[in-house]
Parts: sequence; C-alpha cells; structure tokens
Amino acid sequence: MRYIANTAEQHREMLKEIGVASFDELVATIPAGVRFKGNLDIPGPLSELELEEHLTTIAGENFDFTSLKPLIGVGAYRHYVPRAVKSLMGREEFCTAYTPYQPERSQGTLQAMFELQTYLSRLTGMEVVIPSIYDGASASAEAALMTLRLTRKNKLVISSTLHPHYRAVIKTYTAPHETDIMDLPYRDGLVDIAGLEKVLADDTAAVIVQSPNLFGGIEKIAELTELTHKRGALLVQVVAESISLGLLKTPGEMGVDIVAGEAQSLGMDLSFGGPYNGYLSARKKFLRQLPGRIVGETVDRDGKRSFVMTSRAREQDIRREKATSCICSNHGLNIIASDIYLSLLGTEGLYQTALLNTRAAHYLEKRLIEGGGFEKVFNYPFFNEFLLRSKKPILEVRELLLKSGFIPPLSAGVFLGDEKLEDAALFAVTEIFNRGELDHIAKILEK
Amino acid sequence: MKLIFEKSVHGREGYSLPVDRFDEISIDDCVPSSDRGEKRELTEVSELEVIRHFTRLSKMNYGLEDGFYPLGSCTMKYNPKIDEAMASLDNFVHAHPFAPADTVQGCLRLMYELSDLLCQITGMDAYTLAPAAGAHGELTGVLIIRQYFKDRGEKRTKMLVPDSAHGTNPASSTMAGFKVVELKSNESGTVDIAGLERLMDKDTAGMMLTNPNTVGLFDHSIDKIEKIVHGKGGLLYYDGANLNATMGILRPGDTGFDVVHLNLHKTFSTPHGGGGPGAGPVGVEGISLPFLPSPVVEFDGEKYRLRDPGEKSIGMMRAFFCNFSVLIKAYSWILSMGPEGLRQASEASVINANYLLAKLKDYYRPSYDGFCAHECVLTGRDFKKDGIKTLDIAKRLMDFGYYPPTIYFPHFKPYAEETLMVEPCESEGKEVLDEFIEVMIKISEEAKSTPELLLDAPVNTPIRRTDDVLAVRRPILHYDDELRLKDELNYRPEDINF
Repeated sequence: MRYIANTAEQHREMLKEIGVASFDELVATIPAGVRFKGNLDIPGPLSELELEEHLTTIAGENFDFTSLKPLIGVGAYRHYVPRAVKSLMGREEFCTAYTPYQPERSQGTLQAMFELQTYLSRLTGMEVVIPSIYDGASASAEAALMTLRLTRKNKLVISSTLHPHYRAVIKTYTAPHETDIMDLPYRDGLVDIAGLEKVLADDTAAVIVQSPNLFGGIEKIAELTELTHKRGALLVQVVAESISLGLLKTPGEMGVDIVAGEAQSLGMDLSFGGPYNGYLSARKKFLRQLPGRIVGETVDRDGKRSFVMTSRAREQDIRREKATSCICSNHGLNIIASDIYLSLLGTEGLYQTALLNTRAAHYLEKRLIEGGGFEKVFNYPFFNEFLLRSKKPILEVRELLLKSGFIPPLSAGVFLGDEKLEDAALFAVTEIFNRGELDHIAKILEK
Repeated sequence: MKLIFEKSVHGREGYSLPVDRFDEISIDDCVPSSDRGEKRELTEVSELEVIRHFTRLSKMNYGLEDGFYPLGSCTMKYNPKIDEAMASLDNFVHAHPFAPADTVQGCLRLMYELSDLLCQITGMDAYTLAPAAGAHGELTGVLIIRQYFKDRGEKRTKMLVPDSAHGTNPASSTMAGFKVVELKSNESGTVDIAGLERLMDKDTAGMMLTNPNTVGLFDHSIDKIEKIVHGKGGLLYYDGANLNATMGILRPGDTGFDVVHLNLHKTFSTPHGGGGPGAGPVGVEGISLPFLPSPVVEFDGEKYRLRDPGEKSIGMMRAFFCNFSVLIKAYSWILSMGPEGLRQASEASVINANYLLAKLKDYYRPSYDGFCAHECVLTGRDFKKDGIKTLDIAKRLMDFGYYPPTIYFPHFKPYAEETLMVEPCESEGKEVLDEFIEVMIKISEEAKSTPELLLDAPVNTPIRRTDDVLAVRRPILHYDDELRLKDELNYRPEDINF
C-alpha cells in the first residue's frame, strides 16, 4: 500500500521489539465480541491512474464550469483569483502544517494571521479581528451568541434581507438558549426603518442586518445603528460580499458593534459552497467575548518581533465548558489565501475591483431593462447584485442562459418561497464579465 | 520578518484589471456618495514582492513534508498529491453552490458516495457532511441528541464528559444547552465504571466518549459503558478524533454509539492547512435520521438532489452544504486505500506508536503501563528534579529539526502531568522513528548533563522563545496597534529584518 511506509517484514521486526507475537496482542483490550470481523464493504484500492480516471469521470458529470460563468451570487461570488494566490497557498509549509502551537516554527502561519487581522481591521474599521471562523453564516451565529452574553438579554431582531442560510444557522445556534427571534421586514429592497422602531424593545440584545443585503442592496447602516443603540441593543452587520468593503463606508464609521463577514470573495474559489472563511471584527472592549483564535505581536528572547496566539483564556482547550465557543481549529489556509489576495490587489486594486463590480452590475441592469424583458422590483442602491422581474417565465430565462454558457441568476421567488417575487431573478455581476458578454446576455434575454 | 505593509511603495501594482471599466457609468448614479467611504489603505507591492514575501513566510513554517510531525491527537499523516489535484479539477472548483441541480450531478454524487463510504467504515446509518471541523461536528452531534430528546418529550439537561476529553467536548455540550458533568478517569486512564453508574441518571442526555481515548488507550469497558448509558435511556456520542487506530478493527456503530463525528483532516488524510479547513461529518443511527441538519443528499436511482430533512431537523449548521473540496480529498484517499488498506493503516499506526512507546518508556516515563493505541503519552515528569519541564524537551526537539509532539495534553491530574503525546502515523517508516528515538534519548541525556541546552532551546529556529505574557499585557492585534506604539517599541532593524 503506497501510503503505508513499513513492510510486513519491518512490522514483524517491530512487533518483536515491542515484545508481542502479533498485532492482535496490542489490541487485546478490545473485547472480542465487539471487534469488527471481515472486510469493510467499500470499493478499492484504486491505483493512482484508476483514481484519476474515476474522479475525472465524476467531475465530468457536472456541466463544464470552466466555460459557464455564473450570473448568480447569493453569498458565493466568482471573482478572478490571481494564479499567484493558488501557487503560494499550495506551498506545503502552509498547507500541511497545523495549529501554530509552537511559534518558533510557525511564524509563517502566525504572521499571515496578523496581516489579515490588519487588512480586515482597516476594511471594516474595527479594532479587533478574529481572522477565521468556519464561514460567514457560522460567524454570524457566533456574533449573535456573543451579543446575548454581552447584553444578558435574549431577543434578537434579524433583518428579512439577511441570507436565509445565515438566518437558519443563527436559529440553530441560538435554539438551545430559547432566544426570541423577531423578523425585521423590508420595504423596497432595504430594511424598513420605521419597522425597526416597532420591533425594538428594551430586552433586545442585537439587531442583525446584512449589507450589501440578500438583494445586493446597500442598507442605511448608520441610521439603523443609531436607532438600535438608543434602545441599548448592539448592531451586528453581516458582510457576505467582502469586495464591497473596498467601496462602501466602513461598518466602524457607521457605528456598528460587531461585523460578521464572509471572506470567500477575497481569494477563494466557489468550490460548491466551501471551504470559505468567516471572520469577526469588533470593538476592542468585546475582545474577551470573541470566539476563535487571534494573533498578537510580541518579542522573542533576542528582542525580535514575533507573533503568537494570544488572549487564549477565551478558548475551549483552556476554559473547557466556560469557553466562549467550542470552535477549536479555523480555516487557516483560507487566511493565507486572503492575505495573498489583498496584498496583490493592494490599495488601488481593491478599490478598482469594487468600482468595476458596481459599474458592470449597473450596466447589465440597465441593458436588461432597456431590452424590455425585465423590470425593476425595487428602487434601491445596490453593489454587485440586483433583483429584476422577468416578463418571461423564469424557467425560460434559465434555459436561455444555460444554453448560452451562463449559470442563471437565482429564482428569488422559489428560493425565498415568496409569491410576490415570482419571476424575480437575482443577478450577480463581478469583474469576470466583459462588456461583450454582458451585451450578449442582454441580447438573448430581450423581450 | 517585515510585514507586507512595510514593503509598500506608493504607486506600485501587483494586480491587473481589464482596461474597459464601464467608465461611462457614473458611480454617483449607482451608489450615493453618502454610502461610499474613503479608499482603504492596504499595501502597494509588486507581484514578485508578494511571491517573495509569502515564500519567506512559508519557510518560517514547518510542514509535514519538511520532516516528522508527531503532533499527538492531530493525525499528521501524508496528504497525497493526487488528492489535491483531484480537488483542483476545474469542474469542482468553479461549481457554484446554487447552480441548478442538473448541472452539479458530479458534486452531489461525490457527496452521496462519500456518506456511504463513511457509513460502511463506522457502521452508522447516515451522515451529514455539513460540519466544517471536528468541534463543529460535535456541536452538530450534541444538537442532534438534544433534538432527539425534545422530540420524545423528555427534558434531559446534563451531558457526561470524561476529564480526559478534548476541551471541545464540554464546550460543545455547553453551546448545545447542556450542563456538563465531568466524569473522572480511573487510575488506568479509562472510564471509571462505578463513577459512570453513579452519575448516569434520567436527567442525563448521554455521554461523550473518545475511543481510543485521549490518552491513547482502547477503553476495554466499552460494552459496560454502553449498557449503563443506554440502560438509563441516554445516547452515546463517539468523538472520532482517534479513529485512525480502529479502521476495519472496531466500528463505533457496532459498539452501541448513537452519534459519531469524524475528522476528515485527521484519519482521512486531508491537509491541516495551518489550522484548517477540515471537515467533521456526523453519522447517526436510523432513529436520529429526522434530526440531521439541512440539506441531505438523495438519489432516486437516476438523479441526485439536495433535500431539506423536514421540521424535526436541527436546522442548518453553515451556509450552503459542506467543505466540498475537503470532501473530495477524503473520498479520493479512501478509494486509494480500499478496505484492506484502511485496516492496514490503522494497524501500522498502532504498531508505530507502540514501537515508540517500547523504545522510549525507559527514558520518558509513560502515563500508563501496557500498550497504547495509535499514539502514546510519555511524560517529562522525571526531569522535574533537574529543573526541566516538558516544554523544554519540546523546544529542544525543534533544534533537531522536528515539530514537537503535543504537550500538556491530556492534562488532568494527578494522572496526566507533564505529558508529551506522540502520534506517528502509518505513513512514517521505521527509519524515521529510529532517528526520532535516538534524538529523544539524546535529549534525555542532555537534560541531566547539559540542561542549559534545553533551557535555551530552540536556537536553530527563525525566532526563539516568545514572551507570551507581554503579548497579553500589551496587546498589539494588528499593524496599526504597532504604529501607535512605535516610540515605545524601539525595534532595531535586525529585530525585524531577518
């Protein structure tokens, strides 16, 4: 077997050194009655050649995604990932290492975490950053739990323009605490601010709002924050499309208390939904309630600048049942991906990418409406996603696009189970589309 | 080393965008200026500089391909290149999670078949592939247990967790709303049956158990444990952290476990990524099927599709479905191994661990007598009188080019103290172990003859021992914190430029 090093002869030798006659003696403490007998009923072994052929066949059962560009986002965006990202993150020193328990031999992982903490702190305008929670949805759920601990209240107000998966995960995480979850309605694609005043109460721990929201809409976060703070609650902003942070006001300057973000757009492939990387940014005073690993700067014995995991007294391996969360590992390799991605893009690159996303999306929206096949559902400012109502049945739109080499937009009515949004399509446009392609899309979807 | 921000030169570029930026569209017409912010200062470096920066950073790390990485409880086995290549196939990499089901049949098939393989390997009835990591799997599993009792109208508020368990077990139980009751281990490091009998009652939902346990021992009372927990109507949770010892030898499903989580990044060879991403699928017996998180994959004989398991489900644990590219690697590895190969891998890892134990037990008094499973727990407690701690032994190992074993875990007293948990996986050959044994013996001699070598260690690493107290007392959590404290810090160029 190619992944097992020792030969049968070596095993015999080692067993002799151990002082047993057979392997069975080593596992004699397992009661005979429960030992598994026989062979596992699974296929294999496959040679590497057979394996490659088998996996290639399975991949071939997908449509050909090298040529199909997605007009769909909804929390997963296809941006261009420079080759340097993949080349560098594939280095075995990053890829095959584990948790940086020994800082002397883990400075690569640790410094990358520190750098991403810096990037995300600047992008979100917040003082402390946990650079990796599993994904944006679980980061949002951790943020929700955090607000319950911080305020000792047990009611959450959640925007109806929050990604339904994120909402579902918050619900799962808070279910054991019997948290009361109130719906915050939307109007014209954005949170209904008058509606917020109605649902806010003195026992509200937090208001959770996504911006850009599920429909791509840019929420009035500053106004929402002000109202929320007036009632003594915290505002959590969810950012599912982190490229937007290159253009929009920072959550920090809008008074947000905690940001729960998804960094997939910052250097990660779609990969059928994962692994992506969630992050949490918060005010410094909340550090002790944050879950997950954080890196701090210190010095070594020679006075050299060094990086270490710090503020560890929040974590499960030290605090056990009193920890802020059970989270132990993180998506370390995705941290590296985002650190590389943001370093390549740099100040100007991120800004220009965010601008291009906005403009390209607005260009397509305009062309689709001009073509007569679509009409606006909402009048709202949006980033790189927008909702339009198709005059053709949505299934027809879907077939036309698939045939022409595009993954169709989300059928919002079906996805949200909302009849009012029947035939509404949620489009996402990123920098991967050029003018020719967008014109082509507009043309095939003309009235 | 310099930070990427310290290499910035105004005007330098490392990225390119198409020339056509739709400039005729006015940004003011798209997003009102009141919603837009200042341009964020990141850095300005060339692509080559980025390449060099991260190549240097990588060289300050230590990976599995640099040498022996016997980090106990983490199963640092070889991550085959072919698995990585298969996960990088364009059709997988660019599959959008919300692409229509008929366009992603390959992805869904792989998920379906992997669940089936995991069922076979562990003797469970069904799996959810949603959890992103082991601890995430625990939370999922314990929430399933909670839902099971809720569905039966039983109010059980407590969860039993052995003191030898990973910290994630009690933390997951708390997150799932249970009160954690700690079960003390007996003097041989396994479950104290009398204690279990006393504590397991009708208010207790069940017990979380790692088997082989975190001390690296097979719990010989597994059948008794099962009878006690089930006898009181509780459920048994299997923490699969140590499955690498038991593939094809012992299946949790056959030994009465009701809910199981696995760590694909351990047993199933997917890379650890400096912390992740991993995957922590959860397996259940038929009775818990309705409680699985959403979605589950179905196959009707022709087409695969995702389905919501219904109103009894615990809900969703994450966005979309799973850490898909991690699953590809695990699937690929399992098929490489085949049924015989999996059993041989477990046997080889157990033999390797016992070989190390046999050769080192006279130098580093083990926590227990007898044989271990796939990892052994040695201790440095005999060196305490020489003023040497286990930490010093670990640090010295780095000077010899190793990544140290897991230290101070397990750490329950008095049984496990000054521990050094060594896990040599099946991918390591006898020669590697022999060299490691030689170095360990040498260090044990140094501890007595030249203790300063241990106390000063490491000296051959990119940095030396760090001041962790300072990091807490004077928190610098990003570069802007450092800039604010610049005058106070006073680094010399050589403190940074190495």
